[in-house]
Amino acid sequence: MATTSTINKEQYDYDIIRKFTIMTLVWGVVGMLVGVYIASELAFPVLNFDIPYITFGRLRPVHTGAVIFGFGGSALFATSYYVVQRTCQTPLFAKGLANFTFWGWQAVIVFAALGDVMGHTQGREYAEMEWPIDLLIEVVWVAYLVVFVGTLMRRKQPHIYVANWFYLAFILATALLHTFNNLAVPVSLFSMKSYSLFSGAQDAMTQWWYGHNAVGFFLTAAFLGMMYYFVPKQAGRPVYSYRLSVLHFWALVFMYMWAGAHHLHWTAIPDWTSTLAATFSIMLLLPSWGGMVNGILTLSGAWDKMRTDPIMRFLIVALSFYGMSTFEGPMMSLKDVNALSHYTDWTVGHVHSGALGWVAMVSFGSLYHLIPKLWNTQTYSNRLINVHFWLATIGILLYITAMWISGIMQGLMWRAFDDFGNLQYSFIESVAAAHNLYVMRAIGGLFFLSGMVVMVYNMTKTIRSGKV
Amino acid sequence: MMSQDKRNVNKQTTGHVWDDDLEELTNPLPMWWVWGFYITCVFAIVYWLLYPAWPVASSYTKGLPAINTITYTATTVDGKEVQKTTHWNMRSKFMAEMNELKAAQKQWFDKVASTSYEAVASDADLMQFVNSAGKTLFTDNCMPCHQAGGQGKIGIAPNLTDDYWQYGGSYQQINTTIVAGRHGVMPAFKQVLSADELNQVVNYVLSLSGEPHNADKAKAGDSLFHGPKAGCYVCHGDDAKGKVELGSANLTDKIWLWADVAGAANEQEKVTLLTNLIYAGINRGVMPAWSARLNPEQIKLLTVYVHDSLGGGK
Repeated sequence: MATTSTINKEQYDYDIIRKFTIMTLVWGVVGMLVGVYIASELAFPVLNFDIPYITFGRLRPVHTGAVIFGFGGSALFATSYYVVQRTCQTPLFAKGLANFTFWGWQAVIVFAALGDVMGHTQGREYAEMEWPIDLLIEVVWVAYLVVFVGTLMRRKQPHIYVANWFYLAFILATALLHTFNNLAVPVSLFSMKSYSLFSGAQDAMTQWWYGHNAVGFFLTAAFLGMMYYFVPKQAGRPVYSYRLSVLHFWALVFMYMWAGAHHLHWTAIPDWTSTLAATFSIMLLLPSWGGMVNGILTLSGAWDKMRTDPIMRFLIVALSFYGMSTFEGPMMSLKDVNALSHYTDWTVGHVHSGALGWVAMVSFGSLYHLIPKLWNTQTYSNRLINVHFWLATIGILLYITAMWISGIMQGLMWRAFDDFGNLQYSFIESVAAAHNLYVMRAIGGLFFLSGMVVMVYNMTKTIRSGKV
Repeated sequence: MMSQDKRNVNKQTTGHVWDDDLEELTNPLPMWWVWGFYITCVFAIVYWLLYPAWPVASSYTKGLPAINTITYTATTVDGKEVQKTTHWNMRSKFMAEMNELKAAQKQWFDKVASTSYEAVASDADLMQFVNSAGKTLFTDNCMPCHQAGGQGKIGIAPNLTDDYWQYGGSYQQINTTIVAGRHGVMPAFKQVLSADELNQVVNYVLSLSGEPHNADKAKAGDSLFHGPKAGCYVCHGDDAKGKVELGSANLTDKIWLWADVAGAANEQEKVTLLTNLIYAGINRGVMPAWSARLNPEQIKLLTVYVHDSLGGGK
């Protein structure tokens, strides 16, 4: 096993990774704080304070932008730059360009949040940013691709490690999705406002082709890349099956692209598009699970680590939530299930079981592994990692349980008829009925946020003791 | 799963090593995973046979007619009812489900339509239906302005549960209100009255409902109210009790719609509220016409609901 590294560790470019790692922590706190606040607004609308800038409608994209692109995005930049260097045994290609991706990406998050609060929005989910910011994203993303591919091409060994396939698929697919979803004509050079190149059902299809694959490539494939490096590293064991990685990689990237229209069931799109989307979502189940199986079985023979190693616990529980939400997703994409679940909190619960349970938990685990290495030091407190783990897990369970109950309740109330054939409930009754569950959801979010704050404290202490 | 793992785990790796110790085992695919994938493929194929699925040239596969069709009744433009059977599609499914619900409602709506208002109100069975359908119709359509229990909101819409009806509380009057809507207007008096005169009218109006006021000013206001300069009596009537034909407010009943005069903290505030109102006039008293959105039977039912289930004295 002991092959000699042909590169001295000091030659890796860690500075850029450290910067992205710190911003991951910062955006994590900011994004989750905004999340808890808007969850509280839904439970107690008085928290709007009649200030337009902080109403749910404007803060919601600030929350999604800060957690997906700020927290998730920075974690992906950090880990991909780390993984690609170490598995290719070469420093980053074009250091200056890599530095540009850092400042460019942070600017994107800040401008996007400002735009949202000021009321500039394209009205496209997870792509609310107006055209000037979209152009900046485009440039940053191409720079990212150049840095990543450039580094891959300078690799010291012929084979490309599996984590890098997933990272590369994520970078390429995101470039494609971002470009086509944001094709728009600005009203004028000096106006933030633009109009989509597509209209009507086509526009909706484009939006959800983007939205679904943002989940598929940004929040799934990319984090699988993270998993494929940090799980075997932390476990100290080989990846369970090479064949499984190849097969589920190609099946995943092929199937995902077809499934977006399942977000538009029972709307004015052709029936056949919605059927195809549903079936490809169902066929996506096992390819998605391939990553979970490969990750969890990597641990076989070393299960005791689940008891002794809190980082391992983060990673494996992340994979479990990943497995659960990638099972739930295909079920919800069936026409009849979707008729119940669509437009309800069930969807919100589903996306958070993926976002909190999978994306955030796997990032936490990876960062706990990464940070002491980046700053050449020891973790300040393993006990605090454990505290974070339980705060996060309890938070997720409260959150998704509340949303399951309120979602299914809403779905049932909206379709309930009495013996006369009249609707049994008015819409507002379903809103009132969800109140307690909204409070419970906000409390769940608060647990999760507290865990994040514990992590920041623990990692600040760790970094302070660093020998860099 | 775990016992199977132990059998599968071998020590064979692909021979590649990255970053000192990253390796991959050559384990075969777990068989349950492979079979799971095949099963989802079979499921997909069945789904494709049930529903419209694949685009072909300018059309698409429609699903097998032998196993999944929908029959529904549609009304043609010339009012004829025709039965249609089609391959599965969202619109037909919607139509078929609406057919079912409408059939359940029909006998009741027919009865409401063919029965006089008074007879509907005195028929306990029919009123059960009126309350069931009326509650949802009311909360989904009327509630945003008139509030959940019809109690209204000052500054937005009148209370439907009290004894006062601006446009009349008979069945026919309520029906007309819902069908055609209402638009209440009071002109602005800023060009007509001086600040002093305005203050006098305000004091007079306050005196009408027993609110604290300045008696001398109120007396002067009385003359303005009934005189040609302000001419308030033209709409509000000599007795200031309003006119149902115009929907002009009764100023003597202590019910306030456009400013919360009764709830104001002190005399000064009451004066300010009323002064602003008369100064600028009112052009917000708009109730939309519902004839384009609700059908006549629904409106008749809502009329009974508002009159008998919500309404106070008629």
